[in-house]
Amino acid sequence: MSTGRPPPRPDERSAPYWAAAARHELTVARCSRCGATTLPPDLTCPHCGSTDPAFTFVATTGQGTVRSWTVVRTSFLPGFDDDLPFVLVDVELDEHPHIRLIGRLLDGVDAPLRAGAGVEVAFEDLEPDVSVPAFRLVP
Amino acid sequence: MSGRFAASGRVAIAGYAQTPIERHAGQTLGALAVDTARRAIADAGLEVADVDGFVGSSLLPTAGGHAAEDGVSIVSPNWLAQHLGANPRYAVGFTGIGQLPGSVALAVNAVASGAAEVVLVHRALHNPPSRYHGNPMTAAAGQQQWTAPQGYFSPLAMIALPYNEYLQRYGARRDDMAAVVVEARKNGARIPWSYWHDQPLTTEDYLAAPTLFDPVCRYDCDIPVDGVATFVFTTAERARHLPHRPVHVAGYAMSALSRHRLPLHWPLDDIVDGGAELARRLWSHAGIGPADVDLPQVYDGFSPFVWLWLEVLGFCPPGEAHRFVADGGIDSDRPGALPALSGGGALGNGRMHGVPQMLECYLQLSGRAGERQRDAHVGVACHSSPHHGGAVVYTRDPA
Ligand SMILES: [Zn+2]
Repeated sequence: MSTGRPPPRPDERSAPYWAAAARHELTVARCSRCGATTLPPDLTCPHCGSTDPAFTFVATTGQGTVRSWTVVRTSFLPGFDDDLPFVLVDVELDEHPHIRLIGRLLDGVDAPLRAGAGVEVAFEDLEPDVSVPAFRLVP
Repeated sequence: MSGRFAASGRVAIAGYAQTPIERHAGQTLGALAVDTARRAIADAGLEVADVDGFVGSSLLPTAGGHAAEDGVSIVSPNWLAQHLGANPRYAVGFTGIGQLPGSVALAVNAVASGAAEVVLVHRALHNPPSRYHGNPMTAAAGQQQWTAPQGYFSPLAMIALPYNEYLQRYGARRDDMAAVVVEARKNGARIPWSYWHDQPLTTEDYLAAPTLFDPVCRYDCDIPVDGVATFVFTTAERARHLPHRPVHVAGYAMSALSRHRLPLHWPLDDIVDGGAELARRLWSHAGIGPADVDLPQVYDGFSPFVWLWLEVLGFCPPGEAHRFVADGGIDSDRPGALPALSGGGALGNGRMHGVPQMLECYLQLSGRAGERQRDAHVGVACHSSPHHGGAVVYTRDPA
């Protein structure tokens, strides 16, 4: 199984996020110093400024709200041509409204989409043990 | 503490030169830059030996992973100084975003402080021969691991999200953007050095173009080009004794991303909030307000930036720019309108990264715009996004 799409290459900071994604769990990074959450995990905590945030990755419900979207009709990356056109949604996480993620909307380009629509996380399996967060509209 | 620039009006542009803007120039970028620099220095009535400062930005703005080779695909200030045979006291590169206002700020500071007396600011843009943004990556590492695996990639995707967010929030339509692009191309078509010279765009052509990343179509994006522009900065005092009427720098402001986001993710509120802060600092630095400006030159590398800059700088109320432009608010041929794209911008010239905005301010305020000459006193040249870019206020009079 391989889609030809570029899979994420986890690094020291992101490895727990991608390991959770492979289990189809969406997590966010929580600073061990101030408890605030963030994505992506940066070198310092964007909330308290700690240079040793020792992020832990905590589960989310994967529920979010669509703030914007685009229909992608041309791709500059390998592996997407067979999927064109597809929708990317800009999603504010309901439990963490300061965090916004971008993912493919798996409902297709004809799905009824509007700003404020509710979505939940879904996962695309790119390779064995490599899954990428995406979204589906909730009814 | 006052936000007013201590050197307001004390530094001026004394001359300039620019190449024709072409898809692919017949000369290498470095050779073009050297020739253009020589012409600018002569235009200012000076010699290479008079130039003791060099400032520029070397960013090659493509997502395609093209190699940046000094003198070939980029030109650094040091490369240019060396190949001109100059011996500068001051040669620095600006590495942030808002490359042209950032470079101008460094040059103005250098002249005002005495670090250099004559500073050449240059910008050399190159259009690589292969697909501009195409990227053959086989894995997404570093920052791109957060966006590329799901297909979020390239500046077109970057601008499509806040653009659509604007449309949804304010009930604007893609059709409204035709007025922006048609205005830029109308003005660009009148400019002999523009890639789009004599090639205006009709509303029908704009609306017929297929979208690439909805709602963005090809005409919303400036076209990649080869081109070099150079400007000579010196003290206002010295500039008074040089051949051309000086154009003064009243102040400038730069912005920087303030919220932690995914790479290339620019939510509308980030742009608007960062832009409001930039505008507050800009007016305070220059000692003027939007009502004093008769030559705003907003950045338009992607067409939605026109609406956003008009709003954050206070030329129309928030959420109204789409109507303001559609109603002729920036029509350069309409008396009383704000000619915000009179220089053709990036959409009407090619991807010159803030040069058309700065050049229009210089040409109009120095009285060198020829048959396009307008009666203008205060210009603002913007570059990049309001929350991740910059702007410079230019005046015809020193204060
Ligand atoms: Zn923290």
